[in-house]
Amino acid sequence: MKKISLIFFSAVVALPVCSGLVYASLYSLGIVGVLNSGVTLENWSIVIFGSPFWASIAFSLYVGIISISLSLLFALFIALSWRKALKNGMLSTVIYLPLCFPATVMAFFGFQMLSKSGFLSRLGFSAGIIDNLNSFPALVNDAYGIGIITTSVILVTPFFVILFTNLYQTEKISEYKELAITLGASKLELLHKVTLPILLKKSYATICLFVIFVMGSYEIPLLLGRQSPQMISVATLQKIQRFNLYDIPQGFAMAVLYVLIVVGFLLVLYLKNRNFFQAETHYK
Amino acid sequence: MKKLLQILFVLSIVFPVVFLLLLSLGRRWAYPNILPAEINFENWEFLQKSDSKLFQAFFISLGISLCVSILVTVIGFFVSKTIAFNKFRNVYLILAYVPYLLSPVIMAVIFQYYFIITGLTGTFLGVIIAQFLIAFPFGIIIYLNFWNTKLKSIEELSLTLGGSRWQTFKYVLLPLSKNAIALCFFQVFLISWFEYGLTNLIGTGKIRTLTVSVFNFVIEANIYYAALACCLLVLPPMILLYINKSLMFFVEKSKTLS
Repeated sequence: MKKISLIFFSAVVALPVCSGLVYASLYSLGIVGVLNSGVTLENWSIVIFGSPFWASIAFSLYVGIISISLSLLFALFIALSWRKALKNGMLSTVIYLPLCFPATVMAFFGFQMLSKSGFLSRLGFSAGIIDNLNSFPALVNDAYGIGIITTSVILVTPFFVILFTNLYQTEKISEYKELAITLGASKLELLHKVTLPILLKKSYATICLFVIFVMGSYEIPLLLGRQSPQMISVATLQKIQRFNLYDIPQGFAMAVLYVLIVVGFLLVLYLKNRNFFQAETHYK
Repeated sequence: MKKLLQILFVLSIVFPVVFLLLLSLGRRWAYPNILPAEINFENWEFLQKSDSKLFQAFFISLGISLCVSILVTVIGFFVSKTIAFNKFRNVYLILAYVPYLLSPVIMAVIFQYYFIITGLTGTFLGVIIAQFLIAFPFGIIIYLNFWNTKLKSIEELSLTLGGSRWQTFKYVLLPLSKNAIALCFFQVFLISWFEYGLTNLIGTGKIRTLTVSVFNFVIEANIYYAALACCLLVLPPMILLYINKSLMFFVEKSKTLS
């Protein structure tokens, strides 16, 4: 039974990724694929030495870091200032409501709110702030990813609010704060020497994982992003699905490289945060 | 001031639901009108027509999500138990994190070839298998937070006292695992229910789930039906929230399972 379980796990978790990587690598190297004529490193050199792939990675990283930083700011403010309401009041239930929204729904909602003909533009027109549709600033399909970041922040913030609220209780921060007050700490010192270090240290690995999640998000940039720069998932899929079949090997090279980057990041995260992955089930 | 901010925050959370509901009831929303010119239940009449695309999409989504979540919950329970007490537990855990961290659509890109040669693309079964491949590692991560030495000791105590493996499972492990099983089931259900990129790629657009429908309606510029599909997408998670809000939230190392 134990052997079957481990074989099943390997077959379902490791095999698809490994075999997929092998096929994608072979395709990108010109070894398999209908239009490929022989082994070539051309696709890899285009991806590695060209700018589109790194521009997509940089743009995805920028969106991931900005979105998570803003979410953390809002979440910390809400979780620390409205602690009582989050524990007992109506907010304690309502805060879970955004977890019901899939990225697809939020992307659609974001588009209907932020586009030039969206709800905010209509409100601006009615209030006399703008005089026509084109006066409204480009908040979706824009170069800075404002629409993508705004929607991602709305999607992620409630998660961190709940996480910090839970951590505040499980890590017994109020007891540490009482101790610090007894020792003469000021309100500011309580915040940046007790509360924030504990919350951020305990959630560090989760925060890093969320940056990766946002970097790899697909639905939101598909609807709210633009052709250039593109986020990595959208850019990769577009290469694979383009009418120009000669782009497919580059799409596979991009996918392989992105997988390697994520795996590398995971290993670094593991080596630096062994506690996060540490077994709680040591058993002899 | 604090109370006012809280009320505004609550309103901002509830607003998307109200907005999408209103849009799903609307027709002729010309610029610069704030509300659609017509608001009626005409769009929602699909509920009475079994041949409606949305009606079918709802049940296709439901079928896929139920299959994936049941499979992951049952198989994941037994596989995770073996992994949790294996000396290479951390290696398996790291492996489980790879598909969990990768964007599902990138996963779909790299293993799509195997679905093509096995004739699974564009089929209901193909989408279930593809979703299972991304949801299963997540199920393992959820369960690995649950298994601990205390549980193992209780299981061994039951065996020492003469309980059979089946009795130990039925009367000891299963009651103790209720919360973890429920959490795994609902979290995997949500992953499957929310999934778009992988479903669209492996389903080649033929398997029209609700998320695929939203994008199809957006491409067709039918925002009212897209809003309607969004309302349907939000409905099951909201029912789940009503039943038990703790099932909506999972984070590694959380204490909600024990």
